[in-house]
Amino acid sequence: MNTEQTLVKEICPTSTQAWIKNGALLVDVREREEVAQLAYDVPEIVNIPLSEFEERYAEIPKDKEVVMVCKAGVRSLRAAGFLINHGYDNVVSMKHGLARWVQKGFPTKGDISGIVSSSASSSCCSTETDAPQNHSCCGSSH
Amino acid sequence: MKQIKVLGTGCSKCKTTYNNVLEALKQTGIEAEVVKIEDIEEMMKYNVLTTPVLMIDGVAKVKGRVAEIKEIKELLINDAPIP
Repeated sequence: MNTEQTLVKEICPTSTQAWIKNGALLVDVREREEVAQLAYDVPEIVNIPLSEFEERYAEIPKDKEVVMVCKAGVRSLRAAGFLINHGYDNVVSMKHGLARWVQKGFPTKGDISGIVSSSASSSCCSTETDAPQNHSCCGSSH
Repeated sequence: MKQIKVLGTGCSKCKTTYNNVLEALKQTGIEAEVVKIEDIEEMMKYNVLTTPVLMIDGVAKVKGRVAEIKEIKELLINDAPIP
């Protein structure tokens, strides 16, 4: 799938750390059961599953910097685009999602064994996609 | 002529929806322009969160799942202009 686009700024997990230090809010759009299994361990984070996003997106403050996150960086990209189309200015999406976050050794809560890391790239800022190939790109399943 | 758009990322569900649209049109004999949109930027213009999405004349009718032939036929027939 071609994920090149210009609407949403994408940042890597390492850059996300800097955003977090500056007080950014992380919004995890994975489904509840995914979050229960393994969650980002950061000070400010909310879970708004993509399946509930249309009804709940207004819970996200417009006056904060927001980093959208998910498992592979595809759902978060769509959700970030949705927010930008709804007047949010300070929204970015984290590329490569939790898979790369775990690969980089950033803090999590839960079991990391379920995370499939199909890319061994040493740089989280590379342009290659590392979306797990064995996951559907449809619906809310990835 | 109806405008039908299938928004999706090129996965199997999206392809199935697209093929179901073609089959529904064949079975109903309704003429329509069918466009498949796989470009992520183009998709984001439509505020798509979950795919596939079936749009008929600019309105999202089915979101986040495969649209079945039967329901597409019903959507096409119900939306058909009164002669």
